[in-house]
Amino acid sequence: MTDEYKLHISKRFNRDLVALVNQLLQMGGLVEQQLKIATDALLNSDTELAKEAKVLEDKVDEFDVMLGESCTHMLVLRQPAASDLRMTLAINKCVSDLERIGDEANKIASMAITLAAEEESTDGYVEVRHISQQVMSMLHDVLNAFTRQDVSMALAVKSRDEQVDMEYRSAMRTLITFMMEEPRKISRVLNIIWVLRALERIGDHACNIAEQVVYMVEGSDIRHATKEEIKALFNQLSDTDIKPE
Amino acid sequence: MDWHYFKRRLMNQVGQALALMATLFTLFWLVWLLTTLISQGWQALDLSMFVKDTPAPGAEGGMRNAIVGSLMMCLAGVAIGAPVGVLAATWLAEYGRGTWLASAIRFVNDILLSTPSIIIGIFIYGLVVVNTGGFSGWAGALALAMIILPVVVRTSEDMMLLVPDQMREAAAALGAQRWRLIIDVVYRAARRGMVTGILLGFARISGETAPLLFTALNNQFLSTDMGNVMANLPMMIFQYAMSPYSNWQELAWAGALLITLTILAINLVLRLFWREPKKGH
Amino acid sequence: MIQMNVKKAVQEAPTRTKLKVENLGFYYDNFQALHDINLELAENRVTAFIGASGCGKSTLLRTFNRIYSLYPEQRATGQILLDGENILDKKQDINRLRAKVGIVFQKPTPFPMSIFDNVAYGVRLYEKLPRGILEERVEEALRKAALWDEVKDILKQSGTQLSGGQQQRLCIARALAVEPDVLLLDEPTSALDPISTLRIEELIDDLKERLTILIVTHNMQQAARISDDTVFMHQGRVVEKAPTNILFTNPENKQTEDYITGRYG
Repeated sequence: MTDEYKLHISKRFNRDLVALVNQLLQMGGLVEQQLKIATDALLNSDTELAKEAKVLEDKVDEFDVMLGESCTHMLVLRQPAASDLRMTLAINKCVSDLERIGDEANKIASMAITLAAEEESTDGYVEVRHISQQVMSMLHDVLNAFTRQDVSMALAVKSRDEQVDMEYRSAMRTLITFMMEEPRKISRVLNIIWVLRALERIGDHACNIAEQVVYMVEGSDIRHATKEEIKALFNQLSDTDIKPE
Repeated sequence: MDWHYFKRRLMNQVGQALALMATLFTLFWLVWLLTTLISQGWQALDLSMFVKDTPAPGAEGGMRNAIVGSLMMCLAGVAIGAPVGVLAATWLAEYGRGTWLASAIRFVNDILLSTPSIIIGIFIYGLVVVNTGGFSGWAGALALAMIILPVVVRTSEDMMLLVPDQMREAAAALGAQRWRLIIDVVYRAARRGMVTGILLGFARISGETAPLLFTALNNQFLSTDMGNVMANLPMMIFQYAMSPYSNWQELAWAGALLITLTILAINLVLRLFWREPKKGH
Repeated sequence: MIQMNVKKAVQEAPTRTKLKVENLGFYYDNFQALHDINLELAENRVTAFIGASGCGKSTLLRTFNRIYSLYPEQRATGQILLDGENILDKKQDINRLRAKVGIVFQKPTPFPMSIFDNVAYGVRLYEKLPRGILEERVEEALRKAALWDEVKDILKQSGTQLSGGQQQRLCIARALAVEPDVLLLDEPTSALDPISTLRIEELIDDLKERLTILIVTHNMQQAARISDDTVFMHQGRVVEKAPTNILFTNPENKQTEDYITGRYG
């Protein structure tokens, strides 16, 4: 049903919906870029790069406002129903998740500037690199899942969040041990913890987007579903060879 | 200015001018007819018309006998023709709708509607006058009834068909049987149009001469006996207008004016009082 | 579409079945307009019928009080059970049935008589009531139809002189006066302005406490606003019946989806 939303009798409706989806994907791309730049800036202690990420933040905010308006207009002027309604609502929610991801990326960029100003040290960077890679691929995949309206892909993203949470907790333990061993580095390590915390939050937001993809395509609300229920849905999807009408 | 636009405007103006001329042409004859009738008939039309009977040549007189005869036969004609017509129309519009029989009846009715009145006169002559052994007011009334009948059938059916089916459905949906909803709703809604049809029919038969020629004939004296020959206005006009006597000719003009005024009055009454009333009953 | 056992919006438990349609077919001469309709409609709920022109939704509505039987070329097959009794049965007293199942049409159809007589019409057909009681019945019906305050001083005026919205409420009052169990509404607001439409919609909401209401509408937003259940029909068949909020957010059937979202079907 990937292109179903372009088949309305009203061509303007099609145009509006396509524009809405494209805007969201653009915003997603922008946020992805912002996150990549911020993490790179942190890992390479590159203050200039970090400033670039902060510039992108303004653009992301513009998209946030614009998409909010577009969704309102869609609801008021088109009174969408069924899949169109779900798509509009899902986009509306995805926008706020993307905006928050942007905020978190911004925090990471700020940390990058703070950390770059201090003395060279790469404690905790391994964990940051590792988790950030996972989170970035989750964000990338969930945006793809949105574009393709692919529920199983979205569910896969959601299940990967557990992994991220686990690694986040183990990184925390490592860093806390580290702080106890070297108390004079506490403030620096705390900043790293903030970065990890931001990355973990980004993973959660990616999950929220995945949930919206499921809602958009299937009409099912899995936000508060149990693991077994989600597994059941996942199995059902692989059984039916992922062929939603 | 744009040529097409100019052409369209020109065509429009030419069309309007032609339509206006046609209207004026019609009105011209109507006005001429009325002025002639009034100027010729007005002096003769006085109270004595209504109290004196038709005179001998050269004598003083009126046309009381003709007025009474005409009125009686026309009313009798309506009394016979209208109920039959309304019932026939009811069948056509309510029960027989869509059946071949209804189409056949409608077709025959249309033929009757356009039958020359003289043929109806001859028909009644053959059917009634010959068989009952003489001209009579009843035969005249019957002939007039036959003329008004198809008019009533046609107008009543049309009026009843104008009542939306949803109105019938609404009444039926409340549990009204067929006959009740026809009387309560259809007749009520079509009433105005049906009465108009009957009155226009009355106006039409009040001027018919030919059928009376073969049926009621004429009578020099006042008579209310419908079983015998009867005076009537159209016959009187026909007879007196052709005569060489000037007082008879004057009477004929007066009679013609009287009929015309009656028809005019009926039309005016319909226009003024049978429109949608401001208040319901 | 894939069904999931995850909590969907919890629906209030449907009440007793008022109307049960079983294998209903409908014919105009030889043309079959309805095919094998099976439906259960609950009491005290508003059920909306939507679908493109000619899908049979009005035809279906018109079987519930057998109003089609005015036209000899129309006939229905199958069963419609009203409180368990088959109303399509030849033995069913059709006029009694119609007193139980009222209908209001698209165009207001006030009878050419006074407002009072309009409302009293159906009552007088069955009951010989003393004037005082009849007056009470008329007032009650007009009140239920939210028209009383507007017409109480002009009851003797002709019903045809009211505005379109008032005429339609008069028709509703007329149907209510015979105290039916079921009210059929065949596009009752399509000839009315938006404010009158809202009045009627408000009225429908009040009336469902006492009545089972079936409404045919072309206006999907209207169906969404006022109905508890929605039935989508296509080419003489019921495609989908679901609680309205589910049908409009997540219909099961592709045809339903295409129709309510305005896509090429």
